[in-house]
Amino acid sequence: MSLRIHLVNLSSPTAMLLQSLELNIAGGTIHTVMGPSGSGKSSLLAAICGTLPTGLVFEGDITLNGKSMLALPTERRGVGILFQDDLLFAHMTVFENLLFAVPAGPKNARVAAVEQGLMDVDLSAFAHADPATLSGGQRARIALMRALLAQPQALLLDEPFSKFDAVLRARLRAFVFDLVKKRHIPVLLVTHDAADIADAAHLTHLTPHAHA
Amino acid sequence: MNAPKQKPPPGRGSRPVMGWLGATLLLGIVGGPMLWSAWCAAQAGWDSAAWLALLEHPQTLAALGMSLWTGLASTTLAVAGSAFLLSRTFGQVFWPLGVRLLAPLLAVPHAAFAIGLVFLLAPSGWLLRALSPWATGLDAPPPWPTTQDPWGLGLIAVLVFKEIPFLLWAAATQLQRAEVAQRWTRELLLARSLGYSAPSAWWRVVWPQLWPRLRWPLLAVLAYSLTVVDMALIIGPTSPPTLAVLAWQWLLHSDPALNTQGVAAAWVLSALLAGTVCVAALIWKVPQRALWRQLWCRGERGKTGASIRLGPLGFGSLLGVYGLVMLALSVGSVAGLWPFPGLLPETLSWHAWASVWGSLPTVGTTLSLALASASAALLWSVAWLEWAPPGWDRRLRPVLYVPLVLPPVLWVAGVHGLSLRLGLDARWAGLWLAHTLAAVPYVLVALSPAYLGFEARHQQVCASLGIGRAVFLWRVKWPLLRAALSAGFAIGFAVSVAQYLPTVFVGAGRFATVTTEAVTLAAGAQRSLTSAYALLLWGFPLLVWAGAARWGQPRRF
Repeated sequence: MSLRIHLVNLSSPTAMLLQSLELNIAGGTIHTVMGPSGSGKSSLLAAICGTLPTGLVFEGDITLNGKSMLALPTERRGVGILFQDDLLFAHMTVFENLLFAVPAGPKNARVAAVEQGLMDVDLSAFAHADPATLSGGQRARIALMRALLAQPQALLLDEPFSKFDAVLRARLRAFVFDLVKKRHIPVLLVTHDAADIADAAHLTHLTPHAHA
Repeated sequence: MNAPKQKPPPGRGSRPVMGWLGATLLLGIVGGPMLWSAWCAAQAGWDSAAWLALLEHPQTLAALGMSLWTGLASTTLAVAGSAFLLSRTFGQVFWPLGVRLLAPLLAVPHAAFAIGLVFLLAPSGWLLRALSPWATGLDAPPPWPTTQDPWGLGLIAVLVFKEIPFLLWAAATQLQRAEVAQRWTRELLLARSLGYSAPSAWWRVVWPQLWPRLRWPLLAVLAYSLTVVDMALIIGPTSPPTLAVLAWQWLLHSDPALNTQGVAAAWVLSALLAGTVCVAALIWKVPQRALWRQLWCRGERGKTGASIRLGPLGFGSLLGVYGLVMLALSVGSVAGLWPFPGLLPETLSWHAWASVWGSLPTVGTTLSLALASASAALLWSVAWLEWAPPGWDRRLRPVLYVPLVLPPVLWVAGVHGLSLRLGLDARWAGLWLAHTLAAVPYVLVALSPAYLGFEARHQQVCASLGIGRAVFLWRVKWPLLRAALSAGFAIGFAVSVAQYLPTVFVGAGRFATVTTEAVTLAAGAQRSLTSAYALLLWGFPLLVWAGAARWGQPRRF
């Protein structure tokens, strides 16, 4: 399994955001992309998800397991994403939030998948809680599990730790890295904090472009 | 150290005695007549003979059924239609444009729209002309009941087309709020990254969260659809008519016994409305927990397809209908000879406009009433928001909303009773009172968010500069609130122009306005004159809206 990004240009009508970027992320690897805000990190993620705002143009190719994804809509790309905010759905319980992500199939198997997922993040006791009653760290873990339960072929992490204080952040980081590595899927992490770097051997620095 | 006692914020009891006096006076001016009207309405229906007659009248039950059918069917269709359009536009490229297109649709008066739609759908209307004779083989208008059809379909159609823009607008005000819009857009995106197609994601993620916030607009739509009179007179069924129309006909009758029976019917209509709301609330509560939740989480992703284009297409059709209606009115107003299958009139004539010009008093009454009642309602609302203690405002809102809550037929009976007792019936001043009372709740609703949300520290800054209250209001607060104030005026103006029942009833038929003329003419055969009045009915509020939007623009430097 691998996620390959061959970026020639990523530009808005008025500015060049990114130029000549090559990323090749193998399954089980967490590749970190570092850069200050404005360096085009979020546009890069949007290009991979297929949610580039109108006006932004991506030139190049993005392949997952050898197949180009550019023509596919977001929902058919098999790329999961974890945002800075957990974005748990307020009208569903924790359990329903997770069940929402599990692909259609026999009910028992889906429920079992959710129960296993809750165990993996040590939150079985909160299955039927309202997500609003959970702590920030607990919500982040549920959000991660929700992304994984949809069985994505690749995972994007969009500064998922930046909201937390230093102690919680270190714990959460270890927890997330441990959990995603077990899935053997390519993971792309973008951050502006050097402490978040998952693996110094897989690291790309972006520099802000200032072309008019 | 003891901090000096904080002065309470402006207008909120800084001069308690003055404030209370002022607020009591204001309340007396508007709240008094409103409660009095409600009391008059209650009294007028207090007659057992009238109730017995109502129960025994052969049309009562059928009319009740017709009201229920048209009201429920149109509300359901309008909700379904708006939800469908939202599911295929929110969060998409088209959405911001769609929202901007709504405003002109909202400004269209109901009666004008109904008249235009009649001209499209009638046996001699554009729809059949466009299809004749090549498709239908007709060379004369067929005797079909297409507009005042006995099934109420025409009425339902008008209500649906009129309420969809309102519901979309109500949803847009929720969806435009920065924090909500951003969060829901991202939740949609997240659901799509989990594999859900855009419409499926919308139905499962946004709609369950949006729908509870739409309960008041939904209630307004239901109340309007169940109790509307003017549109039902134009396009609704006749035998039996809806209960609201039946009550209205009895109210206008020369026999006082029938008048009382009409008030009783209006009370039945209120009970019907209350009952429907209770049932709707129950239906909403019961399946919400178990059934819906299971539906959300079944894991089916929905098909990704071209169905997303249906959103812009739906918006386009909605706009198209409004455009066609307006075009039908414009062409109709200058049509001279126009034999049946012809798509355009054979001769043009300014006859209708000349006769509108000849009845300048009608236009004058319309404008003078609208200007006077919009000004009065705006002045009163500003004074109320400025001086009423916040607790009063909160608790007394239900009283001020009485004209919105009561069915129009019942309200008009109450206002009529009031104007009789004040000796103002059949006078301009009585109409002015009726129009102002009708405009107040709308102006308050429109003005409150901006007025109550005004940054209180501006006043503190001004006070610290030694500037008094009056100068602060004239030089700082009201200029800053210019957009909200002018929008409030425009809404008051539009409400007054559109008043049909009070104008006829309180005016005892002696005052003609553009609206009463248009509704009365709609029953006749003078197509061009009807069109001309409907266009005026459309044009006046539109002009004031445009003027208000222009005047309300922030100062440019």
